Amino acid sequence: MNTTYGVIAISVVAVATIGIGAFGLRVSRTTSDFYVASRSVRPWLNSSAIGGEYLSAASFLGVAGLVLASGADMLWYPIGWTTGYLLLLVFVAAPLRRSGAYTIPDFAQVRLQSERARQVATVLVVAVGWMYLMPQFQGAGLTVRTVTGAPGWVGSVVVATIVVVNVISGGMRSITFVQAFQYWLKLTALLVPLFFLLDAWTSDGRPSPVAPSDWIDPFTSTGATGLYLTYSVIAATFLGTMGLPHVVVRFYTNPDGHAARRTTLIVLALLGVFYLLPTIYGVLGRIYASDLVDSGRSDAVVLELPSRILGGTSGEVLAALLTAGAFAAFLSTSSGLTMAIAGVVGQGLARQTVGGRRLSGIASLRIAAACSVLVPLGLALAAERIAVANSVTFAFALAASTFCPLLVLGIWWRGLTARGAIIGLIGGGVGAGIGPIVTIIAAPSGWFGTVMSQPALWSVPLGFGLMIVGSLVTRGSIPRNVARTMVRLHTPERVAVDRRDR
Amino acid sequence: MNASPPGSEPKYTGRVRVTSPLAAAPRHVRRSVREEIDESTGVGEVYMRSLIRSQFRAALTVVTTLALSLGALPIVFRLAHDVTTYRVWSIPLPWLILGAVAYPCLVVLGWLYVRQAERAERDFSELVETESGDISPETDRP
Repeated sequence: MNTTYGVIAISVVAVATIGIGAFGLRVSRTTSDFYVASRSVRPWLNSSAIGGEYLSAASFLGVAGLVLASGADMLWYPIGWTTGYLLLLVFVAAPLRRSGAYTIPDFAQVRLQSERARQVATVLVVAVGWMYLMPQFQGAGLTVRTVTGAPGWVGSVVVATIVVVNVISGGMRSITFVQAFQYWLKLTALLVPLFFLLDAWTSDGRPSPVAPSDWIDPFTSTGATGLYLTYSVIAATFLGTMGLPHVVVRFYTNPDGHAARRTTLIVLALLGVFYLLPTIYGVLGRIYASDLVDSGRSDAVVLELPSRILGGTSGEVLAALLTAGAFAAFLSTSSGLTMAIAGVVGQGLARQTVGGRRLSGIASLRIAAACSVLVPLGLALAAERIAVANSVTFAFALAASTFCPLLVLGIWWRGLTARGAIIGLIGGGVGAGIGPIVTIIAAPSGWFGTVMSQPALWSVPLGFGLMIVGSLVTRGSIPRNVARTMVRLHTPERVAVDRRDR
Repeated sequence: MNASPPGSEPKYTGRVRVTSPLAAAPRHVRRSVREEIDESTGVGEVYMRSLIRSQFRAALTVVTTLALSLGALPIVFRLAHDVTTYRVWSIPLPWLILGAVAYPCLVVLGWLYVRQAERAERDFSELVETESGDISPETDRP
C-alpha cells in the first residue's frame, strides 16, 4: 500500500476533526454546553452524531474481518448492534431523556435516591468505557501499522492525543459536530470503494467464495457450542447497547422525549444502511484475500481489498479513503467514550475540594478527560491483540449485565430499591467481568472456556435476578418519591405536571 | 321522606324553612387530572399506571416480535438445517436474511413502535389537558 496516500488520509481526518472541534469551541460556553450541548441538538444532527459515535473500529474493520474469518455465524454481531438500538428505543429512550439526568450515575441517584448506588454506577461506567476504549486504540495502532509501517503504538498515541485535545477544547457541543461529520465520512468511505470493487468483481466473472461449508452454513461443525455462543452474542449486543455510557449520554442532548424517540429511529435506519456494507467486504475478502485469515490479519481486510482487487493508483486512492474512514471510526468512538467517562468522573471531581477551593465544572471535566484516556491507552500498548470485535463484545456483555437491568427495572418497575440495584450491579458486573479475565489469563478449553469467553447468556439473567430478588427482600426501602419519579419519567413534556423532586 | 301511601296528600302543619345542610361546607371543587397527578392522589396514580402500562405493553410487543423472528432463527437454522442450503439469487438464505433483509424489518418495527407510543402519549395528554381546561378551579370559582 502506498504510504503517502495513507498518511495524507489520516492527516486530513485528524485536521478536520480538530478543525470542526475548534468551531465547536466558539459556540461552547457554559457547563451545560460542555456536558450535553445545552440539550438543543435536533434529531437529524443528533442521529448522525450517534451513528458516528457508535460505529467503532469493531464495525468498520472488525465485522468484515470476522465474516472473512468465520462466515455466517458472525453476521449476528452487526444485527445485534442494530437491534440493540431498537430495544433502547422501546425501553429507555424517552424516559431516560425525561429523567433529566446527565449520566447513568445521575439516573441511579434520581431514581434510587442513593449516593452509594451512584458510586457503584460510576465505577462501572469507567470499567465499561475502558474496556471499549482499549480495542479502539489497538485498532488505531493496527491501521497505522498497515498503512505506514510505523510501530503500533504510534496510531494509538495519535488517536488518544487528538481525542483529549478535542474533548478538552469543546466538550459535548464540538463532539456533536465532529461525530455527525464522521458518520457520513465512514459511510462514504465504505460505500464508494465498494462500487469499484463490485465492478471489478463483475468483470472478473462474479466468482463465488471458495470456502468450507461451516463458513457458509451456520453451526455445521460447532453444534450446541455454536448455539450457546450465538445466543450469548445476541444477549450481549441486544441488551448491551442501552447500557453503553457513550450511547446513553447522547440521549440527554435531545430537546425532549419525543425528539429522543425520533432520534433513535433515525439512528436505526442509519445503522441499517451502514451494516449492509461490511458483510460484502468480508465476502469479497474470502474470494480475493483469504490468506489474511492464516496470517491472523483478518481485521485488515477492509484496508487491503482495494490494492488486491484493483491495484494501481485507483486502488491506492480508495485504500486511502478507507483508511480515512477507519481513522474516523477510532476518533469518533474514542471521543464519545472519553466524553462519557470524563463526564462521570468530572462530576465526581467537581464535588471535591482541591487546595481549599472547589474545582469548576469545566476544569474537572478537562482533568478527568486527560486521566480517563491514559489507563486504556496503557492497556492497549501492554496487552496482546485480541480480535477487535471480540474485545468490544466483553464491554457489551458488562453493560448488558449491569446497566441494562438498572435502566429497564428502574424505568418500568416501582419496586426497585437502592440496595437491590447495588447487589445486581455488583453481581452482574462480577459475572461479566470474570469472563474476559479468565479467558485472557487462563484461556480454558472445553465448555468452561466457551461459557467464559461469552458470559452474557448467564451474566445478564444473573444481573436481572439479583436486582429483582434484592429489591424484593429490601421492599421496605423503596424510595418514598418513586411515584413522583415515575410521573417525571413517563409523562410527555407537553403536559404541564410538576416535575420537581419532592 | 315519609313512607306515605301513594295518592295520599302530605299534610302541612306550618311553614318550613328550607336550608342547605352543607351551606358551611366548601363548594365542591372538581379537580383536573393534572392536579390529581401532581398531588399523587389515588386518581392520579390510576392515570399514571395506565399510561405506563400501555407504554410497557407496546415495548413488550416489540420484544415478543423480535424473540419469535430474529431470536428464533438460530434454533430454526439448527433444527431445520435444510433451510440454510436454500438459495435466493444464488445467495444462501441465512446470509440474505442476516446480511440484508433483517435491517429494514428492524426499522419498520421501530417506526411502528414510535407511532404507537406517540399515540398513547397524545391520548394521555388530551385526557389530562381537556379536563383541566374545562373545569379548572380558576373558572369554577366565582
